[in-house]
Amino acid sequence: MKTSLGKSTVAAEAHLLSNPTKKSRRMSTSAAAMSATFDKYAHYLNTLNDKRERVVKASRDITINSKKVIFQVHRISKYNRDEVLEKAEKDLAAVTDQHLSRLVKELQGTDFWKLRRAYSPGVQEYVEAATLYEFCKTGKLLNLEAINASLLPLSDPSFEPLQINILDYVLGVADLTGELMRLAIGRISDGELEYAETICRFVREIYRKLTLVVPIMDENYEMKKKMDTMLQSVVKIENACFSVHVRGSEYIPLLGCSDPNFSFLGAQELEL
Amino acid sequence: MAADAGDSSFSSSSMEKQFGGFLQQLEQSGNLRDKIRAVAAEIESSTRVMHSCLLLVHESRPIPEVAAKAEAQIEVMKGLYGRLAEILRECPGQYYRYHGDWRTETQTAISMIAFLHWLQMGNLLVHSEVEQKLGLDSSEFGLDIEDYLIGICFMSNELPRYVVNQVTAGDYDCPRKVLAFLTDLHASFRILNLRNDFLRKKFDGMKYDLRRVEEVYYDVKIRGLAPIGDSTATKGPKHKHG
Repeated sequence: MKTSLGKSTVAAEAHLLSNPTKKSRRMSTSAAAMSATFDKYAHYLNTLNDKRERVVKASRDITINSKKVIFQVHRISKYNRDEVLEKAEKDLAAVTDQHLSRLVKELQGTDFWKLRRAYSPGVQEYVEAATLYEFCKTGKLLNLEAINASLLPLSDPSFEPLQINILDYVLGVADLTGELMRLAIGRISDGELEYAETICRFVREIYRKLTLVVPIMDENYEMKKKMDTMLQSVVKIENACFSVHVRGSEYIPLLGCSDPNFSFLGAQELEL
Repeated sequence: MAADAGDSSFSSSSMEKQFGGFLQQLEQSGNLRDKIRAVAAEIESSTRVMHSCLLLVHESRPIPEVAAKAEAQIEVMKGLYGRLAEILRECPGQYYRYHGDWRTETQTAISMIAFLHWLQMGNLLVHSEVEQKLGLDSSEFGLDIEDYLIGICFMSNELPRYVVNQVTAGDYDCPRKVLAFLTDLHASFRILNLRNDFLRKKFDGMKYDLRRVEEVYYDVKIRGLAPIGDSTATKGPKHKHG
């Protein structure tokens, strides 16, 4: 909190008020004193609102560009994996260097919770992009600790460094499961059934872990909705895996075929 | 598919550790929030006591008598804010994480403290003075300026009723004084560039208070009840509609 404001004007005002012989002067003076103190409040509000606007803009840029990383990762297939991920890594690094760094600079030296509403959407999207990339690269969940460590070089060492909080991380991971669902369905259509099953186990595990965390989160209304969506994603992947499993005998011979056609897997039921 | 075997490969290692850590940290902040809410509830009950004291001004009780009881509550609140600051010391830099838990109570408290101050002094209690009265230190646990301003808007809501009752009790000079104060206050608020938020909404409501006080002033003046010499010297040209 940095809200200290002067109080000398008020003492003067009180003094004048207690002196009934200066009535006409009193009115104009008290009005002037009041507007002088309000000038300080106005300055505070203007500074805060300008900062908020810049934070919102940075957050929006982070969102847009993180979405591009996510789309890039979805272009993955059996044949182009390395090259797709390489480009995704570059794009992600660009988001960090160009946009997330702006957020860090804007927020350093302030209470990170004050403007959380303004930057939370961007940070969540960034967590989503970073964790999706990491999963495709290593098959693991990128830890909050690792993300926060990567943010350290962005901030001025003389300030408390900006760290993503648990809430935004968990909200981002919840969105990640939606992307993983798309990825799993895509892999199944490409015939990479085992990879889809790996994704399925991974998403299930995230869901299971979050069922414990979500009920004690700060403001968990948004998160509870995401849990429902997440369960739907899990079920969609499971159903897709089930379809392939049950009707496997019908299409396995096609796997070696250069032009596989899996429309009978019931993709239209998956509502992609 | 061998789901069980797969599960263990994910749930072991780092994922287990991370979410276990989250649980622990969230439980801690939940406990902290419970403590804060308990104090906030006490602040709220203190504001209710203070409110009931202040309501006596509408029955034209002498201000010093009303103030004595109400001021005792300010001391109570001061103690409570001290406890709140102490709790928050456990988590530096997270004032705004928990801010919502004492916000409304604080706004109400400010409205009453500022109203009492106006009754006694006839002028506006400014932000730094509220901090002083409540023993707040802006370097660690300060008073949010927006909360202060919202509290002042609430205070303005009290004034029309006060004016009406004062006139009924025979104080015909009161509308002039209140109108002058409220006009200045309204003009000062217009200096602020407000966003489309709660404060803006409350400020928009202030003009109805101003209008009501103007009406009372008009009623009193047109019937020749207002002390004439005084009012022409001080009011008149400054008077503008919100």
